[in-house]
Amino acid sequence: MMSWSDKLAGRMPETLAREIDQYQQQIELKKQGKVDDKLFQEARLRRGSYGQRYDNGQRHDGIAQRDLPFQRKELRKGPETLWDAPGMQRIKLTFGGFTPEQMEVHADIAEEYSDAIVHITTRQDTQLHYVHIEDTPDLMRRLATVGITSREACGNSVRNVTACPKAGCCGGEVFDVSPYAIACARFLMGHRDAQDFGRKFKVAFSGCPDQGCAYTGFHDLGFVAATRPGPEGTLRRGFAVYVGGGLGPVPYQASLLAEFVPEDEIFPVSQAICRIYGRHGEKKNRGRARIKFLVAAWGIEKFRAEVEAERRKIPQDDAWTSWLDDVPAWSEQPSRPGAALAADAGDAAFRDWRATNVKPQKHNGYVIATVKLPLGDITSWQLRQLADISRKFNNGHCRTTVEQNIVMRWVSEGDLPELYRELQRVGLAASGANTIEDVVSCPGTDTCKLGIASSRGLAATLSEIMKQRAASLDPAVRALRIHTSGCFNSCSQHQIADLGFYGVSRKVDNATVPHFRVVLGARRDHNAREFGQTFGPVPSKRVPEFIDRLTEQFLAERQGDESFPDYIQRIGKKGVKPLLDELGQVPPRSIDRTLYSDWRDPREFNISDIGIGECAGAVVSTTEFDLQAAEQMHYEAQVHLDEGDFRKADDTAYAAMVLAAKGLVYHENQDVPIQPDTIVAEFRVRYHDSGRFHDPKAPTKFAEYLFRRHDDRDRTYSVEAARRVLEETQHFVEAAYSCYARITERPANAATETAPAATENA
Amino acid sequence: MSSHQTGELHKIGVKWPAREQAPLDLLDLIPIYHRWISEAALPDLLIDVAEYTHVPHGPGVLIIAFEGNYAYDETGGERGVVYYSKQPLAGDLAQRLAAVARKSLLAGQRFEQDAALGGKVGLAGDRLEVFSNDRLAGPNDAVGWALLEPAVTALATRLFGAGKFRVERASPDPRERLTAIVHVDRPETIDTLLSRLA
Ligand code: SF4
Repeated sequence: MMSWSDKLAGRMPETLAREIDQYQQQIELKKQGKVDDKLFQEARLRRGSYGQRYDNGQRHDGIAQRDLPFQRKELRKGPETLWDAPGMQRIKLTFGGFTPEQMEVHADIAEEYSDAIVHITTRQDTQLHYVHIEDTPDLMRRLATVGITSREACGNSVRNVTACPKAGCCGGEVFDVSPYAIACARFLMGHRDAQDFGRKFKVAFSGCPDQGCAYTGFHDLGFVAATRPGPEGTLRRGFAVYVGGGLGPVPYQASLLAEFVPEDEIFPVSQAICRIYGRHGEKKNRGRARIKFLVAAWGIEKFRAEVEAERRKIPQDDAWTSWLDDVPAWSEQPSRPGAALAADAGDAAFRDWRATNVKPQKHNGYVIATVKLPLGDITSWQLRQLADISRKFNNGHCRTTVEQNIVMRWVSEGDLPELYRELQRVGLAASGANTIEDVVSCPGTDTCKLGIASSRGLAATLSEIMKQRAASLDPAVRALRIHTSGCFNSCSQHQIADLGFYGVSRKVDNATVPHFRVVLGARRDHNAREFGQTFGPVPSKRVPEFIDRLTEQFLAERQGDESFPDYIQRIGKKGVKPLLDELGQVPPRSIDRTLYSDWRDPREFNISDIGIGECAGAVVSTTEFDLQAAEQMHYEAQVHLDEGDFRKADDTAYAAMVLAAKGLVYHENQDVPIQPDTIVAEFRVRYHDSGRFHDPKAPTKFAEYLFRRHDDRDRTYSVEAARRVLEETQHFVEAAYSCYARITERPANAATETAPAATENA
Repeated sequence: MSSHQTGELHKIGVKWPAREQAPLDLLDLIPIYHRWISEAALPDLLIDVAEYTHVPHGPGVLIIAFEGNYAYDETGGERGVVYYSKQPLAGDLAQRLAAVARKSLLAGQRFEQDAALGGKVGLAGDRLEVFSNDRLAGPNDAVGWALLEPAVTALATRLFGAGKFRVERASPDPRERLTAIVHVDRPETIDTLLSRLA
């Protein structure tokens, strides 16, 4: 019987195909009990396969916590995660680029492995929910055929590289950052200096310093396009580089690392930053492991000095500049000639849609149209239809946005009425993009293990209310943005909303009541120059009333054209407190039960379904990954031998030993060249000659297995020899594991150290 | 074992178009589904409720189960009771189809009988859709149709009797799921249909 692997052979980039095969082998090894839970968890997270609510096999039904009777409870995909529990698959779309072919594959895999819904995230990724782990390799293969990888979509790695969705089309940009974002994503993905982080690492590219599109202000690493005079009147391209921004429970503004880094220097500088973060970033206390804490603790001057010093040490790499030749060739072509819109085009609904969803583009006759997606969701059928529409109207140039929508660039303005009709036909012509109706929400308690309150339930309710009122809303109110997060971890980016909310709980009348804490008055311009201020909590069910009352108050009290953020700043906490105090009074259950359950969830509210988040993943060192990969190669070697290819088996087993040795060598020095001769020589000095490789109590000297096979230049291959080297490899890899455990073991008295502070996610 | 490993068609689904006596607000299903989960009212290991009433012509409101998903679905602009499998099933294709049809009928029975729905929702009974949810093992092409059609005919014969129905392919668009529509001469009650699948 044909498998997806057979069917798609030759249609996937070779490296991706191989990586996915290895991932599938890891799944098989895990099922056989040959991979540690923690290691497998981080390995699948780095493939974007994430845990989901209730995957510990427990669910509260509003009365009591119940066991979900999964049969294979002993089989796990992480320390706390049952194998059979469906999970979430995150898929990276670099800068949000979403071609018609990619849409079609998304549509298919969402139908077959998920629930026929594709969800757009606030980092321009997509997510599928309720996916079984054993379906993930095929899902990844199908994505690979259209140039998509989910590698490093989760886990302690460089996440999706985002950029302004208008890049290349925006009249205010310094230059198009798209090719830079792609090159950066390629350079950092799997880079050896970006594998040893204590937490995730988010990168964004902005085309200008003034607007609020890419929000480099809250990214771990942000690039803002800039130019400097070059020779003979030319302009030299580069970037202002920002570092150490982040949201989460306590948001940090990124600090300016360098005003101008020339384009040919951005990768070595990024590499140096990654090295410093990997080396000095916190690893034990997950709540303080993001780079923002390191930058804050050191101060930007010290951080800058360390980065500069590290930059000077990094060996030259052609990959720093080889991509630059492709930059001038980067361009997008429209499918239709640009044309003006007829003055009398469309009806009132069209005009409303055009007013909110269509923005100018710098190219004459073209505009950018936003497809507004409710809660960031689109069905498989709609996605196929959108693929066709995009082929017809804008040559497939679509991008996802951090507001969880899709923008269609390069639409001829004259085509807008026809485009609107086509979008209407497939239920994608909702107006109100980027207004108060277009509520941004994280998954919250619907699927997230850390969710406290129902951010999606609230967002759906608010969207409906605002949509009904849109026509009568004052423009100053309609322009406001609402973001809702299920907890303080800020996945909806509530700190950049005008009206932001994040889920908390309060004990009342011996019960737990869902609330949302209010975050008000952010300034999104200048890449999110000012985060909103946090105010007190409002019972979840009273958030709509809170919004009504506060916006009425704003309209009644604003001075002249005063903006909402200015108003909030002027009235301060004192000005909002009376409203919060009034709405914060929760009557006992006997009087009003409605406040004791959440939006669109009738169960009596409780927080016992909160699980252990996987966002932080587990800290797994590059050495552990190398050792695991070595083990896997040993397994592959066995397969080759079983298939009669003893030569390949022999060579693969040897490569596994070298990889295990490399893992140990790199534990001490990541700059050692990767060639087997160097690795083996370094291993000999560092581990063999020093006596550290061998268990003092073990009589056998396993390092000899590696040296013997490495020195056997004129090897005579045979089944027997392959069998022997396979045996030896197994012992060598085991010994490498033991060695690593010994050298990283903490002294016995370390157990009495103070436990690290609870993480922010706890 | 996942179906990709067998290369056979296991990801299959059945939709029974619904007949609503009065318009149903899909949000009303949420508390009902939560209760069904507590009561283990349907055959699978029921995990959670997923609600997509905000997307037009979408999957509606679902119960996510380990073995598959149950939904009151709006795909194609028509509401209906759906079950589709996400895990390997036992038996040959006809037996697998019968198992999926049975689960969809049990869900339909719940819709008809649940007091909270007050008899608002029933199955139209004049039609059902059987679909392959696997583009590898059951693609929407002549090969896939040659595989699915006899199994659907066998299922329909069991449910309605030989010659009392007509099977047609829904859409030749290879991107859409391979779907067979069974037009039924005379609707039967859910109890009758279930008894024929017993
Ligand atoms: S903000 Fe909290 S609830 Fe929402 S997705 Fe992030 S961790 Fe989950």
